[in-house]
Amino acid sequence: MPLRLVLRNLLSHPVRAGLTFASVVAAVFLLCFLRSAVAGLTRTVEAADSKRLWVQSAVSLFVDLPQAYEGKIAAVPGVEWVCKWQWFGGIFRDESGFFAQFGVDSDTFQRSYPEMEIVEGSYEAFERNRTACLIGSDLAAQYGWGLGDRVPLLGTIYPKADGSAWEFTVAGVYESSKPTIDNKTLFFHWDYLRETLESGDALGPTGVGVYLVKIASGADPTPVMAAIDLMFENGPQRVQTTTEAEFSRQFISMLGNVPALLSGIGGAVLFAIFFAVLNTMLMASRERIRDVGVLKALGFTDGAIFRAYTLESLLLCGLGGLAGIGLAKLAEPGLVRALAGQLPGFAIDGGSIGVGLGLSLAVGLAAGVIPAWRSSRLLPVEALKGDA
Amino acid sequence: MSEALIALQGVTKSYTRGGQTLRVLDGLDLELESGGFAALMGPSGSGKTTLLNLIGALDQADAGSVRVAGQDLTGLHPSQLAQWRADHVGFVFQGFNLLPVLTALENVELPLLLTPLSKAERRDQASHALELVGLADRMHHRPKQLSGGQEQRVAIARAIATDPRLLLADEPTGDLDRESADQVLELLQRLNAELDKTILMVTHDPLAAGHARVIVHLDKGRLGRIETPGAGEG
Repeated sequence: MPLRLVLRNLLSHPVRAGLTFASVVAAVFLLCFLRSAVAGLTRTVEAADSKRLWVQSAVSLFVDLPQAYEGKIAAVPGVEWVCKWQWFGGIFRDESGFFAQFGVDSDTFQRSYPEMEIVEGSYEAFERNRTACLIGSDLAAQYGWGLGDRVPLLGTIYPKADGSAWEFTVAGVYESSKPTIDNKTLFFHWDYLRETLESGDALGPTGVGVYLVKIASGADPTPVMAAIDLMFENGPQRVQTTTEAEFSRQFISMLGNVPALLSGIGGAVLFAIFFAVLNTMLMASRERIRDVGVLKALGFTDGAIFRAYTLESLLLCGLGGLAGIGLAKLAEPGLVRALAGQLPGFAIDGGSIGVGLGLSLAVGLAAGVIPAWRSSRLLPVEALKGDA
Repeated sequence: MSEALIALQGVTKSYTRGGQTLRVLDGLDLELESGGFAALMGPSGSGKTTLLNLIGALDQADAGSVRVAGQDLTGLHPSQLAQWRADHVGFVFQGFNLLPVLTALENVELPLLLTPLSKAERRDQASHALELVGLADRMHHRPKQLSGGQEQRVAIARAIATDPRLLLADEPTGDLDRESADQVLELLQRLNAELDKTILMVTHDPLAAGHARVIVHLDKGRLGRIETPGAGEG
């Protein structure tokens, strides 16, 4: 069966074919996006460092821990150092200018994250200046901030007593090679936060959000975690120590079972698009019953008819799939920028492209086989009369 | 005497419609010689088209023997029947049955795709067939851009593209005006006389049947009288 005939048949109803094609494009784009989002979440978990543990309140991530825990945790055998983290929750300009900000211990923060590289300025400059901050490269690009720029943040958890904004001076721009730290966060000195709170210039809780614990190379994390949890079992605040991978997983699961939700949406989209393509192919096969009769009269076999219809469906879905993948790749830079905070590992990767193309072809095959089989089984005399 | 290209013996064919079985052909015997031009006439329901379909291997007889071009068609597998059709027979239908998405040339080229010819050879042969029917200047037109008579001539070009011995025409002039019908009938006569094509044509039209050399009448699934138009003239 000539490819020309298959293509002409495909385009014989341009509006119908175009709409079906567009729905396949949209579906594959969405599948690529959702699959990449799930893969991004998984990559974040997989990229976790097994030598980094997180100590948080056993009650909730939103409950602070006492500052006095730092020394006790640092004394646990196997612990190399501890780095305090505190969520700041400030607002830049207005509610829409939100990005993550954390107060961290500047003396242990950099060495805790070897995947983080300072690409502008220096870490030393950050350490020297109490009001300095480090910003991710995406954040710098988004707001056009550079070294020496002052970033005013209105405290929501930690409002200034006089109602003014906190001010942080950009001392360095970092880039992370792993999704464990996204490039859209601002880090400042935890000590600056504490001092401001203690002086009464700002209001808010004086605890520590989470402790990042770096364990010695060769140390087994399991007994270290057990020891830390046991140490605070009787209070004043019970803790839960987890590996970084588990911590990431918990953080993701705070949003619900995101991977399952995204996969479910993808599956539903796939199911819907299957029926759309099947409907198109069934309509096409009904309209071309007489053509099938003519082809059979000319000597084309049942197999040739079957292959032609299957190929038509495969072309419709395959080309739609390729266009959807192309659209996803085109949109990728924008999506990466938009999702840098929520999904630092997001990328339209080869796996998502393969899944998108594979599923579009699978839908094409599945939707093409039924009308192809029906058409190929038509008796020539019945088909020539236009009867199905 | 010419050999019998078509030989049917005791052919029976029934159809079931609405729960009722209708015997369309009832023990039919028929022989048609190679190189002949026969018209098949008879009232509606007499079995003309059914007979044509059996001879063209589009359908199979319930009983009896259908032997065409030296091949017994009874009991062949559908794929064998398809191959036999591609090799031995060309069809001309009442409604032309051109594929609307293809040009005249591409329609004529279709049966040649089942031959081992190269693309260039297929093009040449299809062009030649269109020249034979006088439509060389319409080869790149789509069916809807052609008149009914032109469409039927393209269909005839498609039927002869692979140079089959047998042409089966089912009411080829049924949808045409008189002038176009005459052109088509003259073309069929020419193909019979000049290219030695054996033609079996189903028709209701006595004028059309008059172009044949033999008129075979069917009645209630049985062979009726056989006429020879022009016999005894001049």
